Amino acid sequence: MPALNSTFLGEDQDTRVVGNFAILPIKTSFRGPSYPSNADYDIIDEVLDLFRANSFFKNFEIKGPADRALIYGILFVSECLGKLKPTTSANEANKLLNTAAVEHFSIPGDAGFPLNSLYAPPRDRNEVELLRGYLMQFRQELAKRLIEKIYKDDPSKPNKYWLAFTRRHFMNKSL
Amino acid sequence: MLMLQYQNLLLQSVLSERLDPETPPLGIDQVVSDFDNVTFHISNPDPKDKTVIMVSMYIKCFQDLVKCGAKKILEREYGPYLTEPEPGYDVSLLLNLTDGSIPSDPEQRDELVNKIALLKRNTFAAPFEKAFDKFDQLAEEAAAEGKDLYAPQKSDNEVMAIHYRDEESIYVRPSYDRVTVIFSTIFKDETDRIFGKVFLQEFVDARRRAIQNAPQVLYTQKEPPLEIRDVVKPSSNADNMGYVTFVLFPRHLVASRRENCISHIQIFRDYFHYHIKCSKAYMHSRMRFRVSEFLKVLNRAKQENVVKEKKTASGRTFKHPN
Amino acid sequence: MAHLGTPAVVMDNGTGYTKLGFAGNDAPSFVFPTVIATAKGSSGGNISRKGTEDLDFYIGDEALAAANGPAYSVNYPIRHGQIENWDHMERFWENSIFKYLRCEPEDHHFLLTEPPLNPPENRENTAEIMFESFNCAGLYIAVQAVLALAASWTSNKVTDRSLTGTVIDSGDGVTHVIPVAEGYVIGSAIKSIPIAGRDITYFIQNMLRDRNEPDTSLKTAEQIKENYCYVCPDIVKEFNRFDNDPDRFQKYMADQGLHRRATVDVGYERFLAPEIFFNPEIASSDFLTPLSEVVDTVVQSSPIDVRRGLYKNIVLSGGSTMFKDFGRRLQRDIRTLADDRLAANQRATGVKSSGVDVKVISHSKQRNAVWYGGSLLSSTPEFKNYCYTKQDYDEMGPGIVRNFSLFSMV
Repeated sequence: MPALNSTFLGEDQDTRVVGNFAILPIKTSFRGPSYPSNADYDIIDEVLDLFRANSFFKNFEIKGPADRALIYGILFVSECLGKLKPTTSANEANKLLNTAAVEHFSIPGDAGFPLNSLYAPPRDRNEVELLRGYLMQFRQELAKRLIEKIYKDDPSKPNKYWLAFTRRHFMNKSL
Repeated sequence: MLMLQYQNLLLQSVLSERLDPETPPLGIDQVVSDFDNVTFHISNPDPKDKTVIMVSMYIKCFQDLVKCGAKKILEREYGPYLTEPEPGYDVSLLLNLTDGSIPSDPEQRDELVNKIALLKRNTFAAPFEKAFDKFDQLAEEAAAEGKDLYAPQKSDNEVMAIHYRDEESIYVRPSYDRVTVIFSTIFKDETDRIFGKVFLQEFVDARRRAIQNAPQVLYTQKEPPLEIRDVVKPSSNADNMGYVTFVLFPRHLVASRRENCISHIQIFRDYFHYHIKCSKAYMHSRMRFRVSEFLKVLNRAKQENVVKEKKTASGRTFKHPN
Repeated sequence: MAHLGTPAVVMDNGTGYTKLGFAGNDAPSFVFPTVIATAKGSSGGNISRKGTEDLDFYIGDEALAAANGPAYSVNYPIRHGQIENWDHMERFWENSIFKYLRCEPEDHHFLLTEPPLNPPENRENTAEIMFESFNCAGLYIAVQAVLALAASWTSNKVTDRSLTGTVIDSGDGVTHVIPVAEGYVIGSAIKSIPIAGRDITYFIQNMLRDRNEPDTSLKTAEQIKENYCYVCPDIVKEFNRFDNDPDRFQKYMADQGLHRRATVDVGYERFLAPEIFFNPEIASSDFLTPLSEVVDTVVQSSPIDVRRGLYKNIVLSGGSTMFKDFGRRLQRDIRTLADDRLAANQRATGVKSSGVDVKVISHSKQRNAVWYGGSLLSSTPEFKNYCYTKQDYDEMGPGIVRNFSLFSMV
């Protein structure tokens, strides 16, 4: 059982794709270009589910656009955890990660984007806008749900078992 | 390790673990052997009740030891723990971890464990203790009679014979001025016999050279010494039989040294054979060292690249491609 | 019982640990590291000595303790399963027999073990020592994997007592997969995996360090490995089970000596650590083949007529196979591989196969399976007939031990 692929791979025909990145629907209240998801389980849930298992793997076979969304999500979770200290409270974490989510970030095709070898650049300005908007929304929602998860038991400090994963890097990469 | 230990290491380690109230009770069932045809069996008599441990011992020559009062010694040392012997064994001790018979003080507990680990040693001590007591008695009588120490001794003192191995026995004979302990030994292996002789000669000589306090040691072959001539059974192997005699003098028998003396002398045969084996191991390592040295010499003697000019039948030479 | 004769001595000298005991028992009497500590300066030159320096040494745990001081240095006489230093080994045995087992070797038969592919010269050397130094009454040298197979007969899952099967032997340093057909090791198909107990311990230690636990010593990691770890069917689901059931997180009290204690939380390493057998990628970067695949390859590279028997009887041996559900997971993974191959074959040829029976045998004596197998064999009344005696040796020389007849215990 190697690293797990996304379960959304099968829906590729119906999903919008920018470059080769899947713009999957998400359940969110943040504003953005994503379609609202009506399933109980969206890509954000999946990222949080697979993050811990996949963090141990250095090799990953990308089977489709949905996998690229998954990789991006996992690496973003890794980045978020890196910003937290064992003493950060839920409120502080909220502020910290919200800023991190919207702060300037690079998207596939930008010179600074670390995964350009795996991601195709968007074709035109419209696509750039769409991808940037989607990623911002994606990051905000992911940060929000991550905080819910790791502060579930104790709002004064993050779950140490999650925090321990800061030292592991999925595919040996980071954002 | 120069001396062999007197206690059984397994009994000691298992019991000190199991008797510790902090360790959870675990089931146990082990048969282990000890020197001189002794077998121990540690078990839970009722497999469901792990808090009761039975330690049983089988000794091949138990009947001989009983004749010398082994039961009295066992009663003295292990009284409260003695129980009806398990079938097939001669002595059984029952340790109940829950009824309060095991001391709770760690030091006392260790003492008990050590005592049980010495079960074999204490049982084998019987003939020696009996002989030493007899010696006390005879010496007193002799002193009362004002007998000359060098007068010829009476020979009616009984000899205690312990047939502890198939063809080997220990004989103990107390008298008013000494206790004589004789081991009959037999070597199954020719090499062992040679090593054995060297060792025994050392024992005999030791007293003369350095250690004046050592007991006198005598070694005879084939013919049993006078003291035991009447009790030695004729054996088919009489030619290979050797007899080692230890003469323990009163200074070895003072109360403070007695216990130590018993421990040492009863393990003599095993100690002796252990050292024969160690010497062989030592010889082997010398031999291996020698062989590797010789091999180095041989390797040096190898000729180095003998490239001679080779000629064909017609007298032309080969040109080497390099 | 005991009067029928002295029990045989069973000695299993492994690279890491030595197991000593008497035939008929269900556990070895002594288990200690295969190390010997010799007085410094005495091991080399071997120039004639006057005293008894050659007796100044310790073995096992005492050796490790002695080596903490300045006067002794530790030596490991066995490397990669094979005896490398015969001087040390001879003295190791000397001490094993006289100090620990307390027996006169002349009165006992001995059963020793050897790794697969042990050169016959090593057997001869062993026989020389056992017969010439110790005069032991009789000697039988058995291959460890075969003994592990015999040990599995205690499992109630085993119905026919065959000596055909695949042995997975995982100790501290290395894991071997050894196919055995009718009691003979198929040497060409043996494979080894550089993942074993020690790697699991290191993995746990790493996870503890990642979390900054108050005690991250190797000892703590080892205790956690032995007392808390298990094999799960699916790691993602297992992570979720931990989220939903906080009782799965446990606490371990580490004793740091001097009455100091530290509480260490035990988390995901409970199922992740043994997972490295099935997903080596999570712990190592150079060895990536899962154990199930290695086993499958081993069976596939064995002669075709024994493969069924090898799949049907996969036997576990050694401490690192003791994790809960290890056998179940392995059986499932191998079965998947075998079924997939059959299905592919069927698609390609159209011939329907009757299926392959994959069975992994776990049993209660797994930890010291090799020793236990030896104890089983040597407690049978026939054992002594299979041994070579001192008389045989004196008559024929060390060459006789090159061949031992195989036991059939039925």
